[in-house]
Amino acid sequence: MLSLTSSEVDLTLPIAAEQLSKLLKSSDAVVMLSALTPDKGRDIATLMKNIAMMQHLCSALGQTGCSHLVYFSSDAVYDTAIARVTESTPASPQDLYGAMHRTREIMAAGIRAPLLILRPTLVYGVHDTHNAYGPNRFRRMAQKEGKITLFGRGEEMRDHVHVEDIATLTVRCLQQQSTGVLNMATGVSNSFHDVAGLVARQFGKRVEVVETSRANPITHRHYDVTNLIKVFPDFRFIALQDGIARCHNETTGVA
Amino acid sequence: MTSSIKQPIIGFAGMTHLGLVSGVCASEKGFMVVCFDPDPSRIANLRDGKLPVSEPQLDELVARNAARLRFTADVADLKACDIIYVAPDVATDDLGQSDLRAINLLLNSVLDSARADAAVVILSQVPPGFTRGKQREGRILYYQVETLIFGRAVERALFPERYIIGCADPTQPLPLAYGAFLKAHGCPILPMRYESAELAKISINMCLVASVSTANTLAELCEKIGADWSEIVPALKLDKRIGQYSYLAPGLGIAGGNLERDLATVCNFADEYGTDAGVVRAWIANSRHRRDWALRTLHQNLLSKINDPVIAVLGLAYKQDTHSTKNSPAIALLSSLLPFQVRLFDPVVPATAVPNPRRHSAANELDACDGADALVVMTPWGQFRSLDPAKIASCMRGKMVLDPYAVLDRAACRNAGLEYHTLGTAA
Repeated sequence: MLSLTSSEVDLTLPIAAEQLSKLLKSSDAVVMLSALTPDKGRDIATLMKNIAMMQHLCSALGQTGCSHLVYFSSDAVYDTAIARVTESTPASPQDLYGAMHRTREIMAAGIRAPLLILRPTLVYGVHDTHNAYGPNRFRRMAQKEGKITLFGRGEEMRDHVHVEDIATLTVRCLQQQSTGVLNMATGVSNSFHDVAGLVARQFGKRVEVVETSRANPITHRHYDVTNLIKVFPDFRFIALQDGIARCHNETTGVA
Repeated sequence: MTSSIKQPIIGFAGMTHLGLVSGVCASEKGFMVVCFDPDPSRIANLRDGKLPVSEPQLDELVARNAARLRFTADVADLKACDIIYVAPDVATDDLGQSDLRAINLLLNSVLDSARADAAVVILSQVPPGFTRGKQREGRILYYQVETLIFGRAVERALFPERYIIGCADPTQPLPLAYGAFLKAHGCPILPMRYESAELAKISINMCLVASVSTANTLAELCEKIGADWSEIVPALKLDKRIGQYSYLAPGLGIAGGNLERDLATVCNFADEYGTDAGVVRAWIANSRHRRDWALRTLHQNLLSKINDPVIAVLGLAYKQDTHSTKNSPAIALLSSLLPFQVRLFDPVVPATAVPNPRRHSAANELDACDGADALVVMTPWGQFRSLDPAKIASCMRGKMVLDPYAVLDRAACRNAGLEYHTLGTAA
């Protein structure tokens, strides 16, 4: 396995295409999960950098070919107003980040290789760098401030998937050369209020869950993961309470 | 027979489900019937009393009316007939698209062979426009809507609610022989233009799908919010606008092939003519979603919790009293359970219909339950209703029972210590 980071190949630079074409063989399976995430910028310049990254990868793969291309997209390709999502839900991105992933999905489809598009929902885990609203940020807020502040009363329902499940599913997809589109979600949604409660209970001291006045309308998101179950009927997701406990223990050094 | 005219001889071409059942029922009404199929081996089997389909009462009716039934592979024998029904089952693909090649061939053969004064009646399900496209100079051609139901086909053919007749010109009277045959069934006769009759058939099915989809949508909501759909249904049936015979039982989506065909036909025509079929596509999506209820429930409660579970499945047919597995929810479920041991029993369909290398073909219901971690009742066969939950519980290794159609007694299952799941209410 070859794991490349931006320090070895900077995909934003045109030279990346040549660098990659020297490293890749037609028998390789390639997993593309490089992207500048929204915390790095939501503007047009960031969009163009992300498109350039995919352009250079496609250029390299156009020369070398590959046996299997796995593109890590995002559930941002779906309209945020849609409450129940399946793989059949039309991609209808509402922002540049979602539009970027949808564009890169289409670019990937232009490569002559079996293609799997993975669309993970909200991912959590100890080493998360995005600090998006949810378990990761709640844990850090609780640790730092002794309280967790919610948007409104945290009514919104969301599906949270542990990063280890994402990794395990990806390996299984690679092993059986899966193609098509697969949403990476657990099929179980919880309110942010309940997630905050789960995080708060990990701490020995009292962590306050603070509600604020609501600025935006409530939206919910549920995933119908029937397709995932059909492909991996024996797969067991890490339950949210177990995943949150595991993150807490890893952070605090408890075995 | 109460008609004063000479009793007509009726022909049926195409000896699969529709043609065979319709022909046998015509003989039960006292008519002489010629049953034609171009496949000599099928005719040979029929002559030997080996029927290609399973329907309640059908075997008895064939035996009882043997003197009035003539099975033949010679199309020339249809010359004896005053009315000839062209009635092959029209095959559909996985998307519900009809394959009209077989009926085209058979219809042409009948039109070439029938007497000039014989009425040729298309009974198979065809898309609007089909019949008018088949009109020939000097031929008397009709389209008649069939409303057979798998598992109740004989009853529906013997006692139809009404006849819907597609005509080239509905203002003209029906031929005497055809009229006499229809009147023998004692129900209203509704002549209309070909296209209206063809669309009437589809309209009936769309209304049924709408009811079933409503039931399925609300039953799922019941499962989440603590309501019980079985308590709501009687209230709906007492509403005259909905009615006591309305299709309100929740199920595992649309199956069997015929309804799916009509859904596809409506979508195709809507796309061609630019009309709105959004609701039809929503029904299709809902059907697919509900079909997988058992898989999701199994995964949530069993597959994601224990290693290498054993699953007993009762029922493989798409519904009770039929051999058909077309779009069967049981077959769909089992295609997703390939890694697991499954113990299968269906009164009619053999376990070999399921391509699972770890399948066990059970001798009976309790044999299927033996050592199982979960029992799933996928077809509501009548005989399953008499199963004793206490005996089921004593045979099984686990406690989980999925009974989407509420075949088993819910309270008795719970009293037996079983963890009971059904459609329309929370476990």
